[in-house]
Amino acid sequence: MKFLIALKNTTDESKNILEIGCKIAEGFSADLTICYIGKQSRALIEGDVNLARQTLSEWNIHHPGLEVLEWAFNILKEKGFAPDSEFNIENLVEEKGRIRMVLPKTTNYQIRLVLREGDLLSELNNEVKHGEFDIAIMGFPRRKRMTHKMAQFLDTSIFFVKNFKPSWDYKILLCVDDSRATKRAVILSTRISKQFDADVISVTVSKTSFFGKGYRNAHTWAERYLKRGKIPFESKLLSGNPVDVFVDEAGEDHIIIMGKAKGNEILKFIFGSKPIHTAQRANCPVLMVN
Amino acid sequence: MRLPNDLIRNLLFWAQQKRWLIIIALLGVVMYQLPYPDGISIAGYRTLILCIIVISLIITEPVPLPAVALLIAVLEVVFHIAPPVEVANSYMNDSVFFIMGSLMMAVAIVHQGLDTRLALGIIRLTGNKVKNIVLGFTCVSALLSSFIGEHTVVAMMLPVGLSLVRNCGKNKPIPNLTALILFSIAYGSTVGSIGTPSGGARNAIMLEYWRAITDSGLTLTYFQWIIMAYPMVIIGMLSTTFLLQMAFKPEFNRMDTAIRRLKIQVAHKGKITGNEFLTILIFVIVFLCWIFLNEQYGLGIIAIGGAFLYMATGLVEWKQVSQNTNWGVILLFAGTISLGVQMKNTGTALWIGNSLMSLFSPLIDQFTMIPYILNIFLTMLLSNIMSSSGTVAVLGPITLSMGGDPAYMGMTTAISSAFGYFSAIAAPACMIIYSSGLVKMTDFLKAGWRMAIMSTITLLLLYKFYWPLIIGFTNFK
Repeated sequence: MKFLIALKNTTDESKNILEIGCKIAEGFSADLTICYIGKQSRALIEGDVNLARQTLSEWNIHHPGLEVLEWAFNILKEKGFAPDSEFNIENLVEEKGRIRMVLPKTTNYQIRLVLREGDLLSELNNEVKHGEFDIAIMGFPRRKRMTHKMAQFLDTSIFFVKNFKPSWDYKILLCVDDSRATKRAVILSTRISKQFDADVISVTVSKTSFFGKGYRNAHTWAERYLKRGKIPFESKLLSGNPVDVFVDEAGEDHIIIMGKAKGNEILKFIFGSKPIHTAQRANCPVLMVN
Repeated sequence: MRLPNDLIRNLLFWAQQKRWLIIIALLGVVMYQLPYPDGISIAGYRTLILCIIVISLIITEPVPLPAVALLIAVLEVVFHIAPPVEVANSYMNDSVFFIMGSLMMAVAIVHQGLDTRLALGIIRLTGNKVKNIVLGFTCVSALLSSFIGEHTVVAMMLPVGLSLVRNCGKNKPIPNLTALILFSIAYGSTVGSIGTPSGGARNAIMLEYWRAITDSGLTLTYFQWIIMAYPMVIIGMLSTTFLLQMAFKPEFNRMDTAIRRLKIQVAHKGKITGNEFLTILIFVIVFLCWIFLNEQYGLGIIAIGGAFLYMATGLVEWKQVSQNTNWGVILLFAGTISLGVQMKNTGTALWIGNSLMSLFSPLIDQFTMIPYILNIFLTMLLSNIMSSSGTVAVLGPITLSMGGDPAYMGMTTAISSAFGYFSAIAAPACMIIYSSGLVKMTDFLKAGWRMAIMSTITLLLLYKFYWPLIIGFTNFK
């Protein structure tokens, strides 16, 4: 598998994103790409900025994005994810629209560092397409609309790391319904549950007290799968607005795992979807499975 | 037939990425269909539509800037604003040559490693005290950028400034000292860039507008520009030093360790090399030609002559020049100058100028400074949104048509376009220090409002007292 971690700076929040991302990737033995997307200068003065960057590099002062990547690399090393590797600026390879550094493979997974510049959504989309990633892990966007766009346009599973506290023991809130992505969400949640040693709470929510056949079947299938995987779990059938129920049940100490909606894209663009609204409103990490 | 979801998603993604292009295109179509207002011809109204489209495209950047330049040419012909031959002719003039030559020379100068010489020079001048270092950085940046362009100066000064900051060797963060050093370079360069026509592309654009747009075909020599603008530079660099130290109180007052380390860092350079000497010599020749021969040959021809000399002497290779010169910007300025000329020819500039002034007509009768204040305000506002050179390119023809003396109004526009202190996008110098990641957008506001007030007052004082005093003996044509 291939995971992408998108970083925006060197704050504690980014450190948490890196930590949880690496831990999940380790559980899947997934290749890991850490990507920093810097803001692009205005086109009118881009040439001037590039000229200044050339003189700066002659003084060994590099692109601020490279400093973020070096910081990320040092954290990986500190946590034991990239043993026996060195961050060497000479190993940078400039490709079309991106700069990358591949670290020597010293574990059973490969780590890559990537620097891009430009519009965040567009560049993330390009990176996801380029790397064919299974999961993109990133911080929670400040603007709700950006969360919406990320969830809709990035063609991969997305893990929004929101309000994550490394010292807490998280449980997994698995949202089960009759969508196709639910099965993949259940499979992923068992792997993550094992990795984090976390209990799973499987929740199926209907707007009325009646549960249709599709919902009941999905609920039973999830139970069986979790039982087979020997995952400690609790199973709930609840009534109410699904988004409200998911957000309330999750609180701050759960990781929400749910399938991405596969409905009409135009309606989704205008009105959003259950997973998008849940991601926007939740106060904890949310994994939306593609 | 139902479209597959993936295709719809890709279309939606494209539409949201290009939303500004779609909005601007719709706006253009709607405006084109509307009846044109009184007092303006059809060609004038279409030029106005094109002007709005161009400004919107430059601000929102939904398409590459060279594409905007191409669109100007296409729409000028398609809208029957001007015939193809006239449009083609208006794309190339001495100012475009000047911008091209200056950008090419900048590449040559930056690649000679003169930054280390500058570092040594500044250290010798300033010593270890922070306030002297800030004064040194501001004055050196201002004086150099007057002649060789602000982006060239910042490209050379920024490594020196950043090395000083990094060499401080303190474990705790020093945001104020960092901001102080970086802003002294950026604002110093911006203040200096108004001093001569070669300080920035916007000055060259204004020279072209004076020549092509004013009824008398006003021309200003390199030296006349210096006489008019340089007091602003001198006052500006001294007050910048003072105001920046008010905005950013440094964490400590001496930088002994940093200076010592910087000296060690640049000590290996030894004596001045032949290439460095030749680089300086060629620039001095170009500068002297700008002063003494510009009426005969034009600033642009002299600038591209300088670029030729740098390449002919092997100081820079064509490949370096070609890779590092922003050809798209040259094309864009060519396009906007062409649009500016058409704004004058079709009466659009005059119509906008009159419309703006009619809003303030009761005040203008009592206060003759109103057009100049409005000019400063408009230029400052747009340059903070769009960038300084782009502002002069699109606003120049309008301000020259707002009444008042064209020489004063043009100079006011050119100078106040450098007042983009509030945002990182206004000037190359500001964007370059922002791209270092060490200063925040709020820092620009913190220092910017002080700088804007000081600059506006200084400029108005120059207009009121200094320019009338010198205009007699500078002998404008």
